[in-house]
Amino acid sequence: MQRKQTYVFSEIEEYREMLENRHLRTKNLFVLILTTILGIAVVTYMFITRYELNATLSLMTGFIVVILFNFACLAYGQENHRFNQMNQYTTTLGVFGIALAMIFIFKSPSMIATLFIAYAITAFYQDMKAMLLSNAFLLFAVIAILFKFPEYLDFANSGADNDFGVPFFFLVFIIILTISSYIIIKQKRFFYNQIALSKETEFRNIDLMIDLQKQATGKTIDLAKYYESVSEFAKAFTKKIETENVLQEKIQLLQELENHTSYATLLAKYPQYSKEDFDHLDDLLMGNHEKLMKLAIKISFAKDVHVKKREIFSETQFKSFNHQHDSLDIKILAFAVFYTSLKRGNAMMRPLTEEEIYNVLVYTDYYYTIDPRIMHIYQENNQVFDDIVTDDLGRRGK
Amino acid sequence: MMNNFFRRFFNTEFLPMSEVKKIKITLVMFFLLIITAITIPFSFFFKYDLIVKIIVLAALVLGFILIALLIRWNKISAAAQVSIVYTIALTVYYTGGTSSFYGYLFFFIALTIIIFYQEIYSYLSFGTLVVALGMYFIYMHQADLMAVEDIANSFYIYAIILFTFYLIFLVQILYNEKIYIDLNYDWVKMNHLIARYQDSSLSYLNELDKKSRIQPSYEDVRFQKAVGDVSIFLSEQFRENGKEIINVRDLYLYIHERGLKKILENEEFSVATKKIANRLDKFLLNGRTDMTSMIFNFYTKFRSTAPLKENRYEYALDKLTQKRDEQIIALALLYQYLASEMSGFDEWDRMDRPLSHQEIAELMMSPEMEEFFSAELIAFFKDNGDLFEKYLARKS
Repeated sequence: MQRKQTYVFSEIEEYREMLENRHLRTKNLFVLILTTILGIAVVTYMFITRYELNATLSLMTGFIVVILFNFACLAYGQENHRFNQMNQYTTTLGVFGIALAMIFIFKSPSMIATLFIAYAITAFYQDMKAMLLSNAFLLFAVIAILFKFPEYLDFANSGADNDFGVPFFFLVFIIILTISSYIIIKQKRFFYNQIALSKETEFRNIDLMIDLQKQATGKTIDLAKYYESVSEFAKAFTKKIETENVLQEKIQLLQELENHTSYATLLAKYPQYSKEDFDHLDDLLMGNHEKLMKLAIKISFAKDVHVKKREIFSETQFKSFNHQHDSLDIKILAFAVFYTSLKRGNAMMRPLTEEEIYNVLVYTDYYYTIDPRIMHIYQENNQVFDDIVTDDLGRRGK
Repeated sequence: MMNNFFRRFFNTEFLPMSEVKKIKITLVMFFLLIITAITIPFSFFFKYDLIVKIIVLAALVLGFILIALLIRWNKISAAAQVSIVYTIALTVYYTGGTSSFYGYLFFFIALTIIIFYQEIYSYLSFGTLVVALGMYFIYMHQADLMAVEDIANSFYIYAIILFTFYLIFLVQILYNEKIYIDLNYDWVKMNHLIARYQDSSLSYLNELDKKSRIQPSYEDVRFQKAVGDVSIFLSEQFRENGKEIINVRDLYLYIHERGLKKILENEEFSVATKKIANRLDKFLLNGRTDMTSMIFNFYTKFRSTAPLKENRYEYALDKLTQKRDEQIIALALLYQYLASEMSGFDEWDRMDRPLSHQEIAELMMSPEMEEFFSAELIAFFKDNGDLFEKYLARKS
């Protein structure tokens, strides 16, 4: 059975979801504004044309319920993002419900296209489940109109071509709309994934750099000296503002955490703190791969990083062995160099096994960085690749 | 081939824009093929002369071939534009030939195809044109679009709905454009930053290799042979004489030896060779290139990493801690790192020295630091700069 394609770093899922939720709130707001405008337009039209009061009030109630529910979800969504997610589905149902009601109330073919408006509004969410819900509703409504309520399409001057043309082009329209929404949703995911992936790549590359630096220079940070100076600084600062030195206890505590003093010892020494406090303070440590160390490195590298306008959306930013303008020979050679390098290893990394390479190349996003033809050959013959390189690098039998 | 297409289609979120565009145009081609095919029986109902029908159908076939050729020549953007024009031409042909309700549906189909490409200028130009054509169609055929029993002036509803559909997607495309530019900007910026880390990592790695007397891979004969043999094996799956690829490998190794600039300046090399050399440049192993970046990133997968925490990618100091005393201590530690460790770049963009107080002060005031420190914290640093310098700066 084929394994599902995933990202090389599983850690990115949570962050991607967070990014999606961050934008979902704005999308909810857009949908709310659009629904409100449409609601006002429809109800005003019905009042002006002196439509039946019952029908007008029913539709008005429908719009008000959807709008109020949106407001409520936006408010609660600040506390819990699940309200924003739930709002997508309830609004989709609400908007399609209103569109259907309009078709039944007005009994005019011109109103059938309100279903498309409902689809357009809910397409704003760019969410797979909301899209499925919209499609199901749209398909159901169109089938119902075509087969159950054909009188809504009883035109004054209808030709024979209309009998076939209407269902056929409805079908074509729904399929194109579905595929279009599907790809647009996936495209959105691509951007969120790239951001999340680059965050994880950065995280791991900083770790790698710290280790390589240590190995190459043999130097480590003199933490004792750091804390000694910070203590002096704290003393001088509190003296300057004429208060007692409230910073000293925290400095001592941080230093003990740096020295890996056990939580049990720390709890006995600092009873006013909890384990959670120590966990939280871990982010402010300087040694090894701790957060503050990473922040220090990030700060020193962040200056003067400029992005040129032409670099945005540029294909060259996407690292790959499958650039569309490269010839097949170049793609083959690039793959051969990459594969052999992984097998060879270097001072920072042991040679990788065939299984390790295969699993990443075939089942993660790396799959799409290689020409599909080359990938296919590799998948079919990976053992041959392994044998060639193992023999040539002289590792057979080791 | 179909399998590969579907695999790519269902995994579009892994593909860069150009690949997605290719998938989009292939799908649009498929739909245009169906619609064009169905146009032949529909033409019998259209109010055109036979000769007009034949000319239009022939032109549509030619248009279709043109799109296919453009895709083959890798002119994806041009193919997309031609496919939009093709769709509009089909719309004009249909709506000029019939006054039926499905003619009205055709405007939505045309708009959806334009929306599919998600290009603001195409939507503003071609999309507006489609809406204008739609308005004209509705105005000209208002009587035919009315049901036996219909609401008064229903043609206004047709027009308003078409225009609203266009408007909603216009807002959506504008919004998408904005967030995609923002996300892409952040992504490119992050790429630059990662490239800088990898520059440093690579120089440390070279130092380590030198210390351990390990040859760089591109100079290692066994590595060169392995690359050659893998390339030949792959190449032989495509052509009879796979050994020709060794010329490309040799050129690749030669660039490491001589440098790209010298090869490009050398008149003895043909233009074709120089082009290949230029394209190979991003895959070299003796500097920070796409190749070394991808190798580094691949390796990091196999290194142990800290367990996942909610704030894994959070670096802003006021997000790491909201307590003022902890922020001050952290700021002092950060200052000391910058003042004691290799944090300053030389003119060749290599990190080679600690920063002076003046340099740290400049760094702290730079706009890049807004990402890490709150305005209050920067103000605190400014107000107490003398203390930072006196107690935490490196003593010469």
